[in-house]
Amino acid sequence: MSLALASAIAALAGLISLAYEILWYRVFSFVNKGSPMTFGLLLGFYLLGIAFGSLASRAYCKNKRATFDPAQLRALAGFVFFAQLLSFSVIPFLSWIATKTSWTVALAPVGLSAMLLGAALPLVAHFGIAPDERAGARLSYVYLANIVGSACGSLVVGYVLLDVWPLEKVSLAIAMTGFLLVAGLLVAGKARGLRGAGAWMALVAAGAGTWASSPRAFDRVWEKLQYKTELSLGFRFAEIVENKSGVITVTGSGEVFGGGAYDGIFNAGVRYDRNGIFRTYALGAMRPEYHEALMVGLASGSWAQVVVSLPTIKHLTIIEINPGYLKLIRERPEVSWLLDDPRVEIVIDDGRRWIQRHPDRKFDLAVMNTTWHWRGHATNLLSVEYMSLVRQHLEPGGVFFYNTTHSEDAMKTGLTVFPYGMRIYNCMAVSDQPLALLRDKWRELLLGIRIHGEPALDLTQEYDRGRMDELLELVDSLEEQPPSREGLETKDSMLARFTGARVITDDNMVPEWRDPLKEQLAR
Amino acid sequence: MIWLVFFLSGFAALLYQLVWQRALFAIYGINIESVTMVVTAFMLGLGLGSLAGGALSKDSRRPVLLMFSLVEAGIGTFGIFSLGLFRAVGAATLDFSATATAAVTFGLVLVPTMLMGGTLPLLVAHEVRASGNVGRSVGMLYFVNTLGSALASLAAATFVMGSLGQAGTVRLAAAINFSIAAAIYVYAARKKSADARASIASEPPASDAASAAPAASPAAHADRTEQGAT
Repeated sequence: MSLALASAIAALAGLISLAYEILWYRVFSFVNKGSPMTFGLLLGFYLLGIAFGSLASRAYCKNKRATFDPAQLRALAGFVFFAQLLSFSVIPFLSWIATKTSWTVALAPVGLSAMLLGAALPLVAHFGIAPDERAGARLSYVYLANIVGSACGSLVVGYVLLDVWPLEKVSLAIAMTGFLLVAGLLVAGKARGLRGAGAWMALVAAGAGTWASSPRAFDRVWEKLQYKTELSLGFRFAEIVENKSGVITVTGSGEVFGGGAYDGIFNAGVRYDRNGIFRTYALGAMRPEYHEALMVGLASGSWAQVVVSLPTIKHLTIIEINPGYLKLIRERPEVSWLLDDPRVEIVIDDGRRWIQRHPDRKFDLAVMNTTWHWRGHATNLLSVEYMSLVRQHLEPGGVFFYNTTHSEDAMKTGLTVFPYGMRIYNCMAVSDQPLALLRDKWRELLLGIRIHGEPALDLTQEYDRGRMDELLELVDSLEEQPPSREGLETKDSMLARFTGARVITDDNMVPEWRDPLKEQLAR
Repeated sequence: MIWLVFFLSGFAALLYQLVWQRALFAIYGINIESVTMVVTAFMLGLGLGSLAGGALSKDSRRPVLLMFSLVEAGIGTFGIFSLGLFRAVGAATLDFSATATAAVTFGLVLVPTMLMGGTLPLLVAHEVRASGNVGRSVGMLYFVNTLGSALASLAAATFVMGSLGQAGTVRLAAAINFSIAAAIYVYAARKKSADARASIASEPPASDAASAAPAASPAAHADRTEQGAT
C-alpha cells in the first residue's frame, strides 16, 4: 500500500514539475524571443534545482527505519507547499523583473522552485521503499510513476490546456493541483494537533491568496515580457492569440509578433511601405511568369497577398505551423480575402516536413519569409540540406526567395546551393538560371499588379509618381560599390564580401549559435 | 567513484537528449504534435528502462556494476551511430501516418533511453545494499546524475552545441560513455579481487562456513554481487 502511495505521490509531483517547466519554457522563450539558448539555460537551472533538492532531502532520510513513517509525508508536504508558492510566483516575477533589469535574474526562482520539487522523489522513496534486496526494483516503480506523471504533465499542459486556456488560467490550475497534493500529503501524513491545524490553515490561506492575486499578478504579462524595460506606461496589445503552437501578439498599429519576435505588419501596399514589402514586388519582376508558388510561413499574410496577386499566379500553397495566424487574418477585412481566394491553399504543418513529404510537387516560385536567423530551429529552414530540398521542388528556372534577416551565413548558403543569386535588401533570390531585375519589367509590374482589385500605385497621384521613381531607383543600386544595404547586390559582390560567413548545415547550426552569449541574452 | 561516474553519465545523457531532439525535429517537424511525440517517446523509454533496471537489480547475485558498465558502453555505441540511423529511418518513414510515425520515433529512441532509464535502479540497488538507506542513496545518486545533466544543459546552451555541432556533441557524449564503462569495469574487477582477498583472509574454519553464509548482511550480498557469484 505504501509503495502504491509513494508511486502516486511521485506521479503527481512529476506532473506538477513538468507542467511548470512547460509554462516556464513558454515565457522564458518568449522573453528571449526564442533564442536557442533559452531552453538549455532554463533546463540547466531547473535541473540544478532538482539536483540540490534531491541532495537537501537527504537530511530528512537519516533514519533507516523511517519506511512507512507518516512524518516523511508531512516533511514532503512542507516542500511541496513552498514549491507551489514559489513556482506560481515565477512568471509574475519574471514579467516584473524584465521591466526593471535582465530577465535572467528570474532563473534563480526557477532553480529554487525546482529545488523544493526535487526533494519529492528521494522523500517518497524513503517513505515507500524498504531498504532490502528489492529496493532497486521498488525504486524503479516509483521512478516510473514519476516519469509517467511527468509525461502526463507535459501532455496535459503543453498539448491540451495551453490550447484552450490563457497563461494565467493554466498557471492557476497547476498551482491548485499542487495545493491539492499538499492536502493529500497532510491527510496521508496524519497531520494533527496544533501543528496540523496550522498546516491546514496555511494551506487554505495560500490557496485563497493565490486565487485572489492571480489577475493582478498576470496583468499585462505578455506586454511586460515582450517590451521589457522599454514598456510604455499603460500599453496593451490590441490582440493576443495563445494556443499550443505559441503566442502571437498584435499592436494597435498592426505589428505582429510571434513568440515575442517581430513577425511582420499587416500591410501589402507598396505605396506606404512600412514593412519592406517592395522586396516581394521586386521578386515578381525577376522572371517572365510564375504559375505554381509555394510559401513557407504565412504570419500576417502580407507577403502572401502580394505573391498571389502576381499577374500569372494560378495556385499558391502556403504552409504555416501556427493556426493562430489564420484566426488573426480572418478578423482583418484587408487580409481575410486571402483565406477565401480559390487559388490559395493553406496547410497547417511544419514547412520542412511538408516539403519532404511531397516530393512530386513542383513550383516556379518558393517564398519564405519566416523568422530571425538567430532563433531556435531557424537552421531547419536555412541549411544546405533544406535549400537543396527546395531546389529539388523547383521547376527549371524556378526562383527561391527567402528572408535572410541580414545573416551573411544564410546568404552564402543560398549561393552555395544555387548557381545564381541576387540580394534584394535582406532577402535572397536564388535560382538555377540567371536572375535580373530590369527597369521596364519592374515598372510594368508595379503598374499592373492589383492587390484584391486595388492598383499598387496610381500615377495620376503626385505622391505615387514620386514613389514609382523611388522604387525604380532600386534597379540602379545593383552596380553600387560599396553595395547599398537597402538595395540589390550581385552574387560576385556578396561572395567577395563574405569573408567570415559560413555555409549553414543541419549539423553546425551556425546562425543560431554565432552571436556572443551576452548578445543572445540581451534580446 | 560511483558518484563521479553517475555524474558523467547524467552529463552525457543530456547531451544526447538535446542533440537527438533537434535531429528528430528536423526530420519530423517542430510543430507541437512532433515535439510532443518525441518528448513522450523519450520519457516512455526512460520509464521502461527504469522498470528493466529494477527487474535486473532484484537478483542480488547479479553484478550490477558490471551491468552498469555494459549499459554505458551500449549507450555510447548507439550514440555513435545515432544521427546516421535517425536520418536513414527518417527518410524511409516520411510518408507514414501520425500513429506510425509516433511508433517509429518511439522505436528509434527506445533502446538508448531504456538503457539510460535503467541506470538509476541498478545503482540504487548497489548503494542500498551497501548503506541500507533508501532515501539517502536515491537522494545522492539522483543529485549527482541530475547535477551532471544540469551542467550539460548549461554547457550545451553556452558553447558545446555551438562549437561542436550535433555530430561533435554526440561524439563527446559517446567518449564519456566509453570512459565510464571502462572505469566502472576496472573498478568492479579490482573490487572483486579485493573482496576475494578479504574473504580468504577472514575465512572461518571450513566447518563454520556453511552456517555463516545465510546470515550475511545486505552489504555482504552486495559484495557477492560485485564478484558475480552464482
